[in-house]
Amino acid sequence: MDILTVEGLSKSFGAVRALRDVSLSLRAGEIRAICGENGAGKSTLVKSLMGIFTPDAGSIAIDGVHHTMRSPQQAQALGLGLVAQELSLAPRLSVLDNIWLGSADVPLFHRRRDLRRRARAALEILGAGEWDLDAPVSALSIGQQQLVEVARLLARDARILILDEPTATLTDTEIARILDVLKALRARGHAILYISHRLSEVFDLCDTVTVLRNGEHVATRQVPDITREQLIELMLGRPFGDMYPAAAAGPDTGDALVVEGLNVAGSVQDLSLVAPRGKILCIAGQIGSGANVVTRALAGLVPGATGRVSVGDKPLRLGSVPHCVARDLLFLSEDRAAEGIFHQRSALENLLAANFSAHTHMGILDWPKLKRIGARLAQRVAIDPRRLAAAAGKLSGGNQQKLLFGRAIERPQPGVLLMNEPTRGIDVGARADIYRIMRELCAHGYALIMTSSDLEEVVGVADIVITMYRGRTVARYERHSIAMARILADITHPVQAAA
Amino acid sequence: MSQSAEPPLTDRTLAVPAQGQMAARAGEPRNYVGIVRAAVLVILAAVALTTPGFLSQPSILSLLTTVSFIGCVAVGMTLITISGNIMSFALGALVGATAMVFVLAANWGGFAFGLVAGLAFAAATNALQGFLIGWLRANPIIVSIAALALIYGVAEAFAAHGTIYAAAGTSYAGFKGKVAGIPVEFVVFLCVAAVAQFLLSLTTFGRNLFLVGSSFRAAEAIGVRTWRAITGAYLWAGLFTAPAGIMLAIRYDAASMNYGLGYEYDAIAAVLVGGTVIKGGEGSVLRTLAGAIVIGVIQVVLVLQGLRTEWQYLIAGLIVLGVIALQTPGTRD
Repeated sequence: MDILTVEGLSKSFGAVRALRDVSLSLRAGEIRAICGENGAGKSTLVKSLMGIFTPDAGSIAIDGVHHTMRSPQQAQALGLGLVAQELSLAPRLSVLDNIWLGSADVPLFHRRRDLRRRARAALEILGAGEWDLDAPVSALSIGQQQLVEVARLLARDARILILDEPTATLTDTEIARILDVLKALRARGHAILYISHRLSEVFDLCDTVTVLRNGEHVATRQVPDITREQLIELMLGRPFGDMYPAAAAGPDTGDALVVEGLNVAGSVQDLSLVAPRGKILCIAGQIGSGANVVTRALAGLVPGATGRVSVGDKPLRLGSVPHCVARDLLFLSEDRAAEGIFHQRSALENLLAANFSAHTHMGILDWPKLKRIGARLAQRVAIDPRRLAAAAGKLSGGNQQKLLFGRAIERPQPGVLLMNEPTRGIDVGARADIYRIMRELCAHGYALIMTSSDLEEVVGVADIVITMYRGRTVARYERHSIAMARILADITHPVQAAA
Repeated sequence: MSQSAEPPLTDRTLAVPAQGQMAARAGEPRNYVGIVRAAVLVILAAVALTTPGFLSQPSILSLLTTVSFIGCVAVGMTLITISGNIMSFALGALVGATAMVFVLAANWGGFAFGLVAGLAFAAATNALQGFLIGWLRANPIIVSIAALALIYGVAEAFAAHGTIYAAAGTSYAGFKGKVAGIPVEFVVFLCVAAVAQFLLSLTTFGRNLFLVGSSFRAAEAIGVRTWRAITGAYLWAGLFTAPAGIMLAIRYDAASMNYGLGYEYDAIAAVLVGGTVIKGGEGSVLRTLAGAIVIGVIQVVLVLQGLRTEWQYLIAGLIVLGVIALQTPGTRD
């Protein structure tokens, strides 16, 4: 019998129908991928299952018994458990405390032996039985913290696990561990709903896949019966073109940025690189490799960074963002919400944010001109100009990222774009737009330096790859010698770490 | 399967459901806030108009001057709030201290010198706070409380008897009175408001202020000199607050720290009532102007109803609490 049956689930927010008549069923021991672009209805589905939203219509049955989910507590009591996109751990509390945090089972005086035993048992299922239950969670890596979240659900006897992009912030080895854990849970008879933008994980892990688009159920397939291209086409609702636009074989126009002996205490050691104009240079490395510190340092965001850096033959002083911006080094953070977007400000202002001072007369803004430029930038980054007045915080993640790219276009002269994880949390459609924008910038003579923990993206988009391990460069590859296996080996094994 | 009949996906169609959720979630509390606002305004207007003597000339003139004093401080406060630094509790003390500096300097070097000294003092005192907050990332509330204590302490040393009087023979009579029937104070306040709105809407400084207030880290990342924007916000806040102190000194031919008592609180109330968001990155002088008028009307009505000043504090406290309670569901997310 199906452990979970959803029939005709609908949910509207005002005039917007976020979920329309969605049905699906899940067996014990099944891992079901839920795929769809941003806004397809995935989170609405999850929140309806977890009792966070009350659906307008439809039914949810657990073990064949119908329930009306009124609260997350009720959903938990019925055996549903959610690992949300963002970690929900209290970093200073112990592993044990975090596992039992918010549980109704915990008595007032809660360091009871039984709770320790059950927490230990949950961790053992995850292959983490040896962990110190009293260590603070902040001492664990992000991947390990993710396992604590899963252990929290297991300790509460959740039988249906819902994971909403659990791997978005993890490195490849950590992802591999999570996937192994999920496979082990499947073998124990747990049912899992797995939401991810990373299609390789769908094919690696899942038994079945349900595709949602615009709030509607599009298809449910057995994973072995579907190809990657077919899946993307189902998600997009249109034929799948070339995801990664080809690099234009433009003439060599010199080096935009030369870095020699970049050092950042504790993260980067003696790193050198050359970024040619018109090329995408990708620094590949796991979290902790220092890759994203390199870009931050070059953007002037790391106070203690040292090294000889020159931009177009002129030396660059590290440690001052305004100075770096004046030299046309522009930074795109991986943390779009905290370090990229001005949520309350309009999309127009977000597009122009870095360039206001360039369009003033004696400190007074030339608004008509700024509006014209804004409209042109919006067109170039594929944002509907009618949305320019909307607050940027209300746009989708993909549109927000395009706004950030818009800031880098139409500089007085082509510069260097430093990007950390430029497509993190962005759906397939916007991703294709962003790769196109990146290639356009290349064609205009920009040098692009990016970090990415998505190896498939690295191989797809990079002209040059530099691999990093523990703050040091491992190797450098050019277009034709770029291969996923070698990159993976470089960033996970310290063997070659002295290139 | 129904993908064949679907229109081609664009950014708009992709983005729509997500926005719908936001709008639906944010929409309900906003409407509710709007209704409460309208109701409060109607009640206030009804109470004001039925209060005997409210529509008389002295009461209207008193309203305009009250609004001017509160308004100058509130316009300064607006800049601080927009910059993401919540509020300053030192602006009331700054009013009193500026009045004293003005009278002292005017006694020594004449009216114009007093004016310049008063403005420079207010600008410098506030810019220093702004620098501590912008450069050292000191907590703005703590800085403003420390500044408050310091200003009172220093003022105590200068004015042993609490009040400094204009030197015998000097009179500011020429600067009292009305311009075309409107109190001078109100004209000055309108100029202050106009300058502030100009700064916010039309200058790079104003834009950077909004960006820094909206997201400090994002502003840093695009190369905005955040400390300059914050120091600038405090400096201008000082310049906008100073006229309140100078005008009070002119009005009474004297200066005392008591002059500024409670102004920071009325200003905070005016900013919040106007609808500027506490967390920064949003707001306008026009909103604060409306807020200052509401606070002014309340105060005049309280005086006409014969209620003592304690009641004014009580009402201001209730207003701040009420506005915060109303603002919170819309902005928490």
